[in-house]
Amino acid sequence: MAAQEYQAPESVSRLQQRAYFVGGVALLVSIFGAVHAPELFFPSYLMSFLLILGLTVGSLGLLMLQHLTSGHWGIIIRRPLESATRALPLMVITFLPIAIFGMKYLYMGHGEGKGWLNAPATGEGALSDFQKTYLTASGFYTRAVIYFVIWLGLMFIFNVSSKQQDLNPQDRALRFRLKMLAGPGIILYVFVMTFASIDWAMSLSPHWASTIYGFLFVAGQLISSMSLMIAVVVLLARTEPFASVLQKRHLHDLGKLLLAFLMLWAYFDFSQLLIIWSGNQPEEISFYRTRLYSGWGVVAVIVLVFHFFVPFFLLLSQDVKRNAKVLPRIAIWLIFMRLVDLFWMTRPEFTSRAMPTWLDVVLPLALGGLWLGFFAFNLKQCPLLPLGDPELAEAIEHHEH
Amino acid sequence: MRPSDLYGVMGEFGTPEELLEAVKKVRQAGYRRLDAYAPFPIEGLSDALGLKRNLVPAITLLGGLAGGIGGFGFQYWAAAITYPLNIGGRPLNSWPAFIPVTFELTILGASLAAVFGMLALNRLPHPHHPVFNVARFTHASSDRFFVCIEAKDPNFHLEKCARLLQEVHAHHITEVSND
Repeated sequence: MAAQEYQAPESVSRLQQRAYFVGGVALLVSIFGAVHAPELFFPSYLMSFLLILGLTVGSLGLLMLQHLTSGHWGIIIRRPLESATRALPLMVITFLPIAIFGMKYLYMGHGEGKGWLNAPATGEGALSDFQKTYLTASGFYTRAVIYFVIWLGLMFIFNVSSKQQDLNPQDRALRFRLKMLAGPGIILYVFVMTFASIDWAMSLSPHWASTIYGFLFVAGQLISSMSLMIAVVVLLARTEPFASVLQKRHLHDLGKLLLAFLMLWAYFDFSQLLIIWSGNQPEEISFYRTRLYSGWGVVAVIVLVFHFFVPFFLLLSQDVKRNAKVLPRIAIWLIFMRLVDLFWMTRPEFTSRAMPTWLDVVLPLALGGLWLGFFAFNLKQCPLLPLGDPELAEAIEHHEH
Repeated sequence: MRPSDLYGVMGEFGTPEELLEAVKKVRQAGYRRLDAYAPFPIEGLSDALGLKRNLVPAITLLGGLAGGIGGFGFQYWAAAITYPLNIGGRPLNSWPAFIPVTFELTILGASLAAVFGMLALNRLPHPHHPVFNVARFTHASSDRFFVCIEAKDPNFHLEKCARLLQEVHAHHITEVSND
């Protein structure tokens, strides 16, 4: 085993080229949209940004989770997870258009005084006293800097330590330190994501609030990230060296976790609905008044059936979770459904028309393509397995044939 | 010993590898009614024994569905049919409020079906078993590995089975009586 290097196969380079190409072309096309229809561009951009943010920081959460729990499943996907977290610099860059140009299109409520950026000082649409001090442009920028600094810090700690471990497999103290940092790191990730989701998405409707909103994002991000990992390991396993590493039991474990995250997400989402529905308060039900009727109601049913019920019942089966052809398809489907869910979460604040625009096709391709290209580039920088992990040999040992 | 008193013939092994090898050889020789005993789970042993997938997952699914449908149905029956009450102007079939109980009863139904389905299928609890008649069998829970070819096997022949176990290097070969 020690003689093997586990370098990324040729297919990763091809993925990188294709993803950059698709992402680059789509980005050029979308710039046209940004110039001619910024009021359509930025809602699409926010949705796409939130999707790739989920792939990035969701992977950060999963990475810390696997350090904390140290299962074999985590050793198999540790390097792809690390590569996904190293896409964070791209997230900083892709956040800039929102911060520089997008604020007035996103947080001004179409000039009707419904957004927090232009809320009237008094009267019906006025913000509360606390919101007046919290939801300000300078507060928005300051907090965004804090979020990214914390994420980048966590990314740095776990990537550098993992690299050190490759060189010093015997270093027990290093392994212990990773474990000790992972617990507080997860708490930090959930806190930061809660605040970030409030700033970037929930503040689209400043008079509505939900305390579980951040968890909806956290659970959704775990689905996105785990789905990506399943797709990536199956892709890597098409060729050596990963082909002789990945076994059905690994896929089974990853599939079980995906099912668990899916149920967690559904549980959070339903909790929010149940509490608001039971409370029946005018200021709370606005969220569902706009999202459960007419066209948006159709989207809600699509999300319920195709984001939850269909993948849930499929993933219940052991044969599906162990199937290297079916499982990655469900995973990629779930990433797509994450996008639909983000569409349903954010877009009703902009329009009552529940139809995607051409930018909703181009922008996810642009940001997703660039992200995937960068991810593939990152994947080539390190061996595909954490060679210094003391449990590696056991994790990739063959039991079945 | 009369043939009807004979449960089977048992071979003892020192390592899991020897056990796996022996099970494979015995299966190759055409015997199907056999079982292996080890102090800890051995990867690949189920496959070597040719154990098939069982019905527990299907029973669990049915239990879950019964629990879920029953749980929702009972709430609907109580709240909308037999005792309709207007609570805060909400509809009688207030399905969002029924979901938590439905969910819990799905889990309850599935877990009970899994536990009792498993017990029914493997016929546990089973306080006595003929293999306990072999004195050395106590080692099966500490440091030894056993294969027992059962007399119920249509090809069973005491001498042949004993010879086969000898060929796969069993350390001890014992007849197992039924009582």
